[in-house]
Amino acid sequence: MLDKPEIAADTRPWRDPDATPFVKIRNVTKKFGDVVAVSNVSLDIYKGELFCLLGGSGSGKSTLLRMLAGFEDLTAGSIEIDGQDMAGVPPYRRPVNMMFQSYALFPHMTVWANIAYGLKRDHLPKPEIEARVAELLHLVKLEGYEARKPNQLSGGQRQRVALARALAKRPKLLLLDEPLGALDKKLREETQFELVKIQETTVTFIVVTHDQEEAMSLSTRIGVMNQGEIAMIGEPPDIYEFPNSRFVAGFIGSVNMFEGVVTEDEDDHIRVRSGEAGCDIYVSHGVDCAPDQILWWAVRPEKITLTREKPDDDYPGANLTHGVVEDVVYLGDMSVFQVLLDSGTRIRVTKANSLRGDPNAISWDEPVWASWSGNAGSVLTS
Amino acid sequence: MGELERQRRLGADLVTLSTAELVGAEARRWRPWGFFRTRLEMLGIGGRWVVILPPLLWLIVFFLIPLAVVIGISFSESVVGQPPYLPLLTISSAGDVQLTLHLSNFVFLTQDHLYFDAWFSSLKIAAISTVFALLVGYPMAYFIARSSDRVRNILLMLVILPFWSSFLLRVYAWIGFLKNNGVINNFLGLFHIGPFTMLQTDFAVYVGIVYTYLPFMILPLYTNLVKLDETLLEASADLGARPIRTFLSVTLPLSVPGIVAGSMLVFIPAIGEYVIPTLLGGPSTLMIGRVLWDEFFANRDWPLASSVAIAMLVIVVAPLMLLQRAQNAVVER
Repeated sequence: MLDKPEIAADTRPWRDPDATPFVKIRNVTKKFGDVVAVSNVSLDIYKGELFCLLGGSGSGKSTLLRMLAGFEDLTAGSIEIDGQDMAGVPPYRRPVNMMFQSYALFPHMTVWANIAYGLKRDHLPKPEIEARVAELLHLVKLEGYEARKPNQLSGGQRQRVALARALAKRPKLLLLDEPLGALDKKLREETQFELVKIQETTVTFIVVTHDQEEAMSLSTRIGVMNQGEIAMIGEPPDIYEFPNSRFVAGFIGSVNMFEGVVTEDEDDHIRVRSGEAGCDIYVSHGVDCAPDQILWWAVRPEKITLTREKPDDDYPGANLTHGVVEDVVYLGDMSVFQVLLDSGTRIRVTKANSLRGDPNAISWDEPVWASWSGNAGSVLTS
Repeated sequence: MGELERQRRLGADLVTLSTAELVGAEARRWRPWGFFRTRLEMLGIGGRWVVILPPLLWLIVFFLIPLAVVIGISFSESVVGQPPYLPLLTISSAGDVQLTLHLSNFVFLTQDHLYFDAWFSSLKIAAISTVFALLVGYPMAYFIARSSDRVRNILLMLVILPFWSSFLLRVYAWIGFLKNNGVINNFLGLFHIGPFTMLQTDFAVYVGIVYTYLPFMILPLYTNLVKLDETLLEASADLGARPIRTFLSVTLPLSVPGIVAGSMLVFIPAIGEYVIPTLLGGPSTLMIGRVLWDEFFANRDWPLASSVAIAMLVIVVAPLMLLQRAQNAVVER
């Protein structure tokens, strides 16, 4: 990984090797019959984190969440929450609350009764319950909706009731299963900010999602899951800029991937010959690899520059290839170019539309040069 | 286009008619019944009516008309003859049409406490049987609803299986179980317990009714419970509710429609039950069905028997309809 500026007072406990994790998941495996849903997952989550489990459907992320809540038994391994082993602890005794993907609001109860349900189970005095419910209704901006039944609420309101109900007991750990799935974009963004605000108090969040944008914007760290295994754990920028495998690079955002062979392996740089890219790829840092090894070079669309004229290629880190613009998609804030390289490979390049109605913009069928710097992409060996 | 324009000018009725004919012509090309459809549509009988009409006719012929006949007889007077009641409408020799309504049958019902006792006893037996059917049926329905698909189908079949044999036969079988030297007492006799008198008691009637009507309790409960969203139970557990609390706060309230439906299906026929109290009950088991039978066949008093039937209908059905309406209101709210 590259050098990064360290923040003076680091608030990221996962960087401190001596920090005690709040949730310890050790070698957890879950099998349904012969199907392995979760395979040997180990994971540490720290107090106050908002950890996103990101993966496609069937990646085992929901199963992992349900094991944390106590709805599924482990086939092997152990889960520890706040220093307590959770083996054999039923869901109703865990210091954990969950917000369900379907919200699972009790249809026969009012909004008030739904939120108060968990508090009543703790046999709190009535005034205390009323005060807490009022506080939560204020938090999720649903004052005046106490007497409504769930079927009289919109999707967004139901989702907020579900959130309030999950928060009611001030759980140490809050599990959210696709929390924002059913919301439209605007409501989503609002709720995301609300979640982050709540998270800044003392709750630890584990969020399951298949939506990478949601994961990026919400989380302190992301665990990318693939076929029951954790493919990568890292902070959002690490996951995006420094993926550790072709799966992670391809799953998060879009990426251009070139297969190549190492031709030059030095301490400070390597050179990869790639027929797919139509040029030698110069990587301006050392990589742990062998000569003649096959590896992949992944570069994000926004890291590539398109020009009509051939740029100066005097400096050693220049990577340059040639192609024709096949398609341009205007997205408002940026445009996406699909370029057919002379090698026959298609790449995606994005460019911010920083000028209004740029008359000089690159258009369809124009021959262009695509270039990127030596540290623009990631070398992937798996 | 000119054709359509002409029709429009001819007025709405004619246009509708020709549209119907056009539709008919269209149908005739494809379907052999197009002719009937065209005729029916000309009479104003559309597809909706074709669906509703057969059951409607069935109900009119086999339910409404007989009911009207029974109501008619209940206002008549008993005579020795054929038929054993006076006609309501009489035409005198002068040609006057005279309608005679006797309310005496209904008055008599309030004067003789036998009818009130029978009615009250029927309600009591039906109510107690319903409660027991619910207590036995609910766990069974719950278990079936929570079984795996394969087991579930087998269990459901077992619930329905008794219907494949004669109802009368099954009630007779209970006599063999309950009588003094029957299966149960013989078994208990091995341990020198008993014998207990079970046949010809109210107990035997309860056993018979619960046994016979149990499927009617289980099936609506099962349909309700199988739809219960399991994540609701998980949510309840997640919020700190033990399984019993979850059952009382979530499962039970959400299954109320099933409980009501099942209870009605048991309660209503149990009130008028005749065979079970006759075969299993004793002389002291008073039920309105038996009273009705006696009035009709033993006393040959058709008008009184009819008024017993009508009174029972009103007294039992009216509150149930109100209950149903209240239930619907709750569901809508």
